[in-house]
Amino acid sequence: MNETIVTYFAKFEWYKSLVKALTETFGFNAEPLMVFLFFFLASFIVVNVMALVGGLGTYAERKISADLQMRMGPNRVGPYGLIQFLADGVKFIMKEGIIPKSADTFLFTLAPILCLVGVLGSLTVVPYSSGFILSDLDIGLFFLIGISSLVGLGIFLGGYASNSKWAMLGGMRAAAQIISYEIPVVISALSCVLLAGGLSFTTLIEAQTGFPQGWFIFHNPFTFIGFFVFFVGGLAETNRAPFDLPEAESELVSGYHTEYSGMRFAFFALAEYIEVFVVAGVAVALFLGGYNVPFGLGGDGILGQFLQLGAFFSKTLVLYYVVIWFRWTLPRLRVDHLMTLCWKYLTPIAIFNLIGTGFWLYGFEGKSLFELLFKSGAAATGGGH
Amino acid sequence: MFGNILFLVSALFSVLGAVGVVVTKNIMHACVYLLMSLIGVAGLYLTLGADFVAATQLVVYVGGVVILMVFAVMLTGGADSQKSNRFGIEKTPMMGSVGTYVAGGISAILASYIVIYRLLPKIFEAEPVNSTMAFDKTVEKIGMLLVSDHVLAFEISSVLLLGALVGAAVIARPKRN
Amino acid sequence: MITLSSYLVISTILFLAGIVVMIARKNIVAILLGIELILNASALNFVAYTKFVNQNLDGHIFPLFIIIVAAAEAAVGLAIVIRFYQIRESIHIDDATQLQQ
Repeated sequence: MNETIVTYFAKFEWYKSLVKALTETFGFNAEPLMVFLFFFLASFIVVNVMALVGGLGTYAERKISADLQMRMGPNRVGPYGLIQFLADGVKFIMKEGIIPKSADTFLFTLAPILCLVGVLGSLTVVPYSSGFILSDLDIGLFFLIGISSLVGLGIFLGGYASNSKWAMLGGMRAAAQIISYEIPVVISALSCVLLAGGLSFTTLIEAQTGFPQGWFIFHNPFTFIGFFVFFVGGLAETNRAPFDLPEAESELVSGYHTEYSGMRFAFFALAEYIEVFVVAGVAVALFLGGYNVPFGLGGDGILGQFLQLGAFFSKTLVLYYVVIWFRWTLPRLRVDHLMTLCWKYLTPIAIFNLIGTGFWLYGFEGKSLFELLFKSGAAATGGGH
Repeated sequence: MFGNILFLVSALFSVLGAVGVVVTKNIMHACVYLLMSLIGVAGLYLTLGADFVAATQLVVYVGGVVILMVFAVMLTGGADSQKSNRFGIEKTPMMGSVGTYVAGGISAILASYIVIYRLLPKIFEAEPVNSTMAFDKTVEKIGMLLVSDHVLAFEISSVLLLGALVGAAVIARPKRN
Repeated sequence: MITLSSYLVISTILFLAGIVVMIARKNIVAILLGIELILNASALNFVAYTKFVNQNLDGHIFPLFIIIVAAAEAAVGLAIVIRFYQIRESIHIDDATQLQQ
């Protein structure tokens, strides 16, 4: 059985005594009930926290863009405008959900749901800490790639079902972009899998250390390039600027969600912001040491778990900031430039990195660059192959 | 308990999706129903302990094949194009004579008799369930099998994929004059 | 109780649905959808038999190859459909009868 959040809690005494008490109360084996309850609770918490992250993401985007452009940004609702996103959410709920007369009603209502399901499904395997991971599947990374491709289909169907030329063009661009950029992303992630020797996120992270010299990004020159390929490709997969061609305001009115309003639009926006978090989290887990805490502070106890949680979230939020920074700094690419960047530059570089990592593993027996330079460095234990 | 629930839900998904593909008249909806059916089949793989196959099913079908299908529908005139007749059966004239209909009816009765009274009891006979076998860590074993026992098929499939890639690119490109 | 036969019944339904789609529809894309259903039914059978009867992992390898073939078939098939549409401006299967004459 895979490690899950339930197996983490099952190690504690109070869990066992709770199960025993429940069994005596109800008169049947309460173990499955407890498992169900715990999974339900954990999923509920994760979904709500992620909705909060998505909501705060919109706030952070406005504040950071205002900062970069020397404006004030939202500052009316709450202290520093902090609960602006709640006001937006209430507004979204109150708005009328309009379905255009000529739209395909079935697909029109299905598309935002598909988007949200894809993103929330990928949260199953995102490693928040060694214990607080909803399910540490053996095929974690592979599962994440599979389930998150529902987002592309949702965007595409949303663009098609609106029956409007802007939405249609946006949807087609989104589908082409997401399918194309999946290739460099997956290939550069594969080099990390090669180093760690496993697809599960726990295996990938345990092979790294808390300090930067044990991270996979500094393991060898190839993974160093690979991180940037991964990050650029991930940006393109989330349709963020400078790759926000599917929703280019200046060309297509608002891209694939031109015809959407109310809660359905909110689903699209929420899915986008959570997906940015997921991409940043996966980049952290693969290349930047994940939840590892320096000095071995993160242990199996509750306190250690929260330290690991802090390490993971701080790194991820730094990458989140970088993503927003990109959006307000770089101009948008042209469509043909986008495809050229993917097929002529990123994909060959990613393949070269994969082969190079393989040769590095073969040549130096899995030792990292730091270990080769400072042979006495006992702290560096990266690349546990 | 969870296994049974997962089985029921995915069986329902796959069967309803397949029926939807048959029944619906809109080709775009048919693609979505196919997606539903494929996700159901992935769930069935999970109940059988084949997690790697389930993930492959998700990656290839959801991320690749269904999007390709939808793309092709869009590039060829959309769901309600007049040129693409949806159900050819409406146009087909009545074929055959009284004799063929009688023969068809008799053979249908015979076939349903055989299916209901001879095959179904055998199918639903109790059979030993081997639930003790658990495929833990299928990924590593599949990897080892792919590069040892099935290495020829593995290599040939890579050539097949390359051929499909080049072939699709060459075929779909419009000729330039 | 979940037995081998429950999986076989499901895969039969998938297979029959695929056959019906392939026969009844005249749209070439719909016929490709039917082929996908049929391939899935066969792959499901492989995994079910390997769990209940054979008990080795060869039944997990075969679906992988089936999925690969299905992906290649979909890519090339849809390329042919798009090319056909460019030439005849239709994706009705009855328009593809030039080789008969």
